[in-house]
Amino acid sequence: MSTNKLNSPAELVALKERLEKNRNANKTVVTVCAGTGCMACGCDAVLKTFREECANDRLENEVEIKATGCHGFCERGPLVVVHPLGVFYQRVKPADAKLIWEQTVKGGHLVNKLLYRDPQSNQIVKNEKDIPFYKKQMRIIFGKNGFMDPTAINDYILLGGYQALAMALTKMTPEQIIDEVKKSGLRGRGGGGFPTGKKWATCRAVKVEPKYTICNADEGDPGAFMDRSLLEGNPHQVIEGMLIGAYAIGSHEGFVYVRNEYPLAVKNLTIAIKAARDCGFLGENILGTGFSFDIEISRGGGAFVCGESTALMASLEGKVGEPRAKYIHTVESGLWDKPSNLNNVETWANVPPIIERGAEWFASIGTDNSKGTKVFALTGKVNNTGLVEVPMGITLREILYDIGGGVPRGKKFKAVQTGGPSGGTLIVETAEPKIHASMVAYGDLRDEDEAISLLDLPVDFDELTRAGSMMGSGGMIVMDEDSCMVDIARYFIHFLTEESCGKCVPCREGLVVMLNILQKISEGKGTIEDIEYLEELSQVIIDTSLCQLGGSAPNPVRSTIRYFRQEFLAHVIDKRCPAGVCKDLVSHAIDNTCNGCHACLKSCPTNAIVGEPKRLHYIIQDKCIQCGACYQICRYNSIKRIKHGEGDKLQERARELWQPPLKKVTAEVA
Amino acid sequence: MDKAKITIDGQQIEVDDGSYVLEAAKSLGIEIPTLCYYPYMVPYAACRICCVEAHGAGGWSKIVTACNYPVWDGLEIFTDTPRVINARRTNLEMLMANCAPVPVLQRLAEQLGITEPRWKTGSNYTCILCGLCVRICDEVVGAHALAFINRGAKRDVSTPFQLDSESCILCGACAKHCPTGYIKMEEIENRYIVHQEMNLSPNAAITLPFRQAVPNVPQIVRENCIHFKTGGCMVCAKVCPKDCIEYGDRPNFEEVEVGAVVIATGFDSFDPTPMKQYGYGKYPNVISSEEFEVMNNAAGPTGGKIVMENGAEPRAIAILHCIGSRDHDYHKYCSRVCCMYSLKFSHLVKEKTSAEVYQLYIDMRSFGKGYEEFYSRILDEGVNVIRGKAAEVVPSGYRQHEEGHLIVRCEDTLIGKYREIPVDMVILSTALEARRDAKEFGRKFNISTGADGWFIEAHPKLAPVSTTTEGIFLAGACQGAKDIPDAVAQGGAAAAQAMKLMAQGEVMMDAAYAVIDEAFCSGCKMCNDMCPYTAISFDDAKKVSVVNSALCKGCGTCVAACPAGAIMARHFTDEQIYAQIEGILA
Repeated sequence: MSTNKLNSPAELVALKERLEKNRNANKTVVTVCAGTGCMACGCDAVLKTFREECANDRLENEVEIKATGCHGFCERGPLVVVHPLGVFYQRVKPADAKLIWEQTVKGGHLVNKLLYRDPQSNQIVKNEKDIPFYKKQMRIIFGKNGFMDPTAINDYILLGGYQALAMALTKMTPEQIIDEVKKSGLRGRGGGGFPTGKKWATCRAVKVEPKYTICNADEGDPGAFMDRSLLEGNPHQVIEGMLIGAYAIGSHEGFVYVRNEYPLAVKNLTIAIKAARDCGFLGENILGTGFSFDIEISRGGGAFVCGESTALMASLEGKVGEPRAKYIHTVESGLWDKPSNLNNVETWANVPPIIERGAEWFASIGTDNSKGTKVFALTGKVNNTGLVEVPMGITLREILYDIGGGVPRGKKFKAVQTGGPSGGTLIVETAEPKIHASMVAYGDLRDEDEAISLLDLPVDFDELTRAGSMMGSGGMIVMDEDSCMVDIARYFIHFLTEESCGKCVPCREGLVVMLNILQKISEGKGTIEDIEYLEELSQVIIDTSLCQLGGSAPNPVRSTIRYFRQEFLAHVIDKRCPAGVCKDLVSHAIDNTCNGCHACLKSCPTNAIVGEPKRLHYIIQDKCIQCGACYQICRYNSIKRIKHGEGDKLQERARELWQPPLKKVTAEVA
Repeated sequence: MDKAKITIDGQQIEVDDGSYVLEAAKSLGIEIPTLCYYPYMVPYAACRICCVEAHGAGGWSKIVTACNYPVWDGLEIFTDTPRVINARRTNLEMLMANCAPVPVLQRLAEQLGITEPRWKTGSNYTCILCGLCVRICDEVVGAHALAFINRGAKRDVSTPFQLDSESCILCGACAKHCPTGYIKMEEIENRYIVHQEMNLSPNAAITLPFRQAVPNVPQIVRENCIHFKTGGCMVCAKVCPKDCIEYGDRPNFEEVEVGAVVIATGFDSFDPTPMKQYGYGKYPNVISSEEFEVMNNAAGPTGGKIVMENGAEPRAIAILHCIGSRDHDYHKYCSRVCCMYSLKFSHLVKEKTSAEVYQLYIDMRSFGKGYEEFYSRILDEGVNVIRGKAAEVVPSGYRQHEEGHLIVRCEDTLIGKYREIPVDMVILSTALEARRDAKEFGRKFNISTGADGWFIEAHPKLAPVSTTTEGIFLAGACQGAKDIPDAVAQGGAAAAQAMKLMAQGEVMMDAAYAVIDEAFCSGCKMCNDMCPYTAISFDDAKKVSVVNSALCKGCGTCVAACPAGAIMARHFTDEQIYAQIEGILA
């Protein structure tokens, strides 16, 4: 691991050549994904088994066991790939590891049961790149993740790492770098989508020293984890990006603000920074070019608002993480009132490929105003959850169906929530064939087709904003027909009332008012006026909030009202929750298709379900707390969510069949 | 600094580049409401009430907060578009939805035309989280004793860990700036009439040393000033348009060589607080004569109007004589001036108000020129003059809730009856007394004070302005209670005495003074302390005591005291005394 300090770009090239020479291309390498997702599924034990087997067979020199960064396909973890065969195994248990060792590593055979089986075509897929999940992806940033040990700098150098830095430092002036980044069309991946090159140029133009380079790794959106995976899996690419950026703007000090809830990311980053320092990529006189730069890690306490740039800087200064007005930009006066260039983890990771392969190449990917790729954290009601890196402009349909593999259990897509709590919910398909007349009346939708066509919405910064959502940091939560939009809106507003810093009135007080109204609606006490209030409040909060947290906080409400007004109207007029989520508006009942499998009976926490095996079951309405456990477990779709209070209407026959155990009681009494 | 031309509601103004819209609007007389702005702090922009619409070239417009939006050339601001008004109203409604109906919000609501907020979330919190207290403590005071705690809807203002803060310097700035009264100081000072004129607040750091001080300018009291506790604040310097605040200034001593000194240190007014029976300090409408003078002054806090604490005109006033004078428990002497100024008070009250006036006296001492005539005139004016000292002042029993209604109990000795007089206001004619530091002061000049504390003159009849110390003279009330004509006369006399010395240019001295025979002096220093005129000092080089012949009065104390017989009074040598005795006996 210990590498001598490199004093010139030539030494870096020499080191790479030496490493390449020493590498045996035919050597078997078993890579085990050690991202947090796979870690949770038990990849540690898998790794241990491989290492033990390897030691037992004394094959340490022939076979290399490697714990790599996240491969992205978290749904199927733990993932194991055996090189150079390129065989991809999924959901590997420690016992399976033994099998792989025996069969594949030593024997060269495939283990069929561990291979990926495409649910649509039912075909077995051998290689990682042939899996539909990966096929449509374009892995510029995550590409190296699967091939390298994040704690080994040599792996990164071997994969061409730090070449971009060497090129930038020796062959390019800062102005040329900024020009290149400008030409590439790279936009901030943190959510705002501000052109990165323009930001750097402004920061460079400010004649104040020192300047700070900051990496925002305070990823707080529920369901988003791409920054974490990147820092865990390939911290060097982020460091390299920061180095190039710092050189371009003339900064010598950098900070990475990372959540303390990301222990693995902090650990890997710390190791990476130390290794980079040892190799001479960080510190004084980098690669003998006279340029100096160093990075310090600052760990955040987990406040969502600290992802906002000014709040993050306040937190870095040791103050309470509160945003301030950005009428004077942070590139002019940010951290300690000095020019500060802050970019997101993913943005920094995009820089080395741009320098290495040129702006033209990067600009060729994506749409007119959004270039390159974007990593999305695909979560929710979708078959293949995980991290997906796709070129900008890909349609939602491709992401959801081709990569995501559709909705589990044959349900229908309903909506996609992008951009985290500040983003919006987009309609993709509608469970109800007819769109409520109000949507047309309010001008949100003109006809039925348009509602469906959002599935073909090209995903980029501008299109998402136009559709009433935003790119955000790249969270993508998929919802099926069982999700209630009022409930979703309520959930996000609740999250934001908790996470608002509380400094300014609209965000602190306005969101509480909105939450109260949403609560009222979900309890069936809302009026049509309340929906209007929500819209009015949203507008004022967006207009007058101090920071972008408040400025985008009403987005979940605005977008759900825009696309799902009929659902809101159902709540306030019919006092009915179409998705059957709002507990005060729904009753659970069993219809006549029940075959008495008993599954629901066992799952009921309040013993509200009664019935003989293989006979029609019955839900005692008074006991039912509408938790929905039975609904989730029923495989025959026999449990229905219907309007509140109408449960017994549906269960009439079951009720007749079911006799309360009167006899037993009377016997005891007697 | 560069200038920027901006337009606010159609009016053009040129302001410093980088200053804020709110200030510019203010200078144009455009009122922008705000809840969290304080001019001497960094704008915080938390209340979002001050929002205005900014327009720029290219037709863009957005809502910005006036308090912290920096101006730039060509900026156009609108403060009263429907969008702005709606934003302000809705923000205020949001605030009112979660806050108690505190007056500051209600006033603003009235201004913006809100009668009742459309929403109410049930919380009834008095704090509007404007952050003035936290920021004052942080930025101005520099004590850092307050902070926000928690996030979002749970946000609150508190001391660290919600414990009594050790950093708090009890300056009260937070409570003073709290617009809703959420922050309170435990001790509440309510005697406005007494203190308002003297100080800016109960323990203000900037005060006038005393009324009619020369020069009559305010000074900083270091013990109360925040700047001298934390190094922060300095708001007064920012407020002062003439840059008069000088924090480095300190009282300094100047030495002046003089041949004569006139002492005219005046008197103190008796503090009637210990006389519990009169309720001074307890009832706001019981005031001292000095306070009445302040109130009556056209330049005073009420502009010369005679009013009660609640601002209403009193219907009846009692003036109580001899408070602290002619009283065995306080001062036995008569203060000589109270009768006349009390009569003057009743004349003023009659002139300015229609109140009934009662004078309660022991003896009416109107002995000066024209004084008795003035007394007669007062009687003609209809003042009720009652012979008998007031026993006590009590609140009116049956109408106790009525603020300021008092009853004076006394015995009318002329008719021999006990009386209860209902009044709205009581004026206590307090005694004149010697300055509290008179004794200490006298010691510096080698002059003594009497039992009452007044300075003692050299001779009550023959030398009423001189003192036992040559060249020191007394003038005015420091020598005894007296009225203005007497004080002026004595002042003139003292000045003449001093000028006599100056005209002569030299001082004639008595030839009789003590001398020490160095050969006999053992250096015991016994005489040093004994000398009443501090004329003897010790010569450390020679180890003998030395008499300063200019200071020595020839009293002979040291001569008698010297154990070695080394001191001799000139012209009173033993031989001379023996010779005189012999002469008499011969």
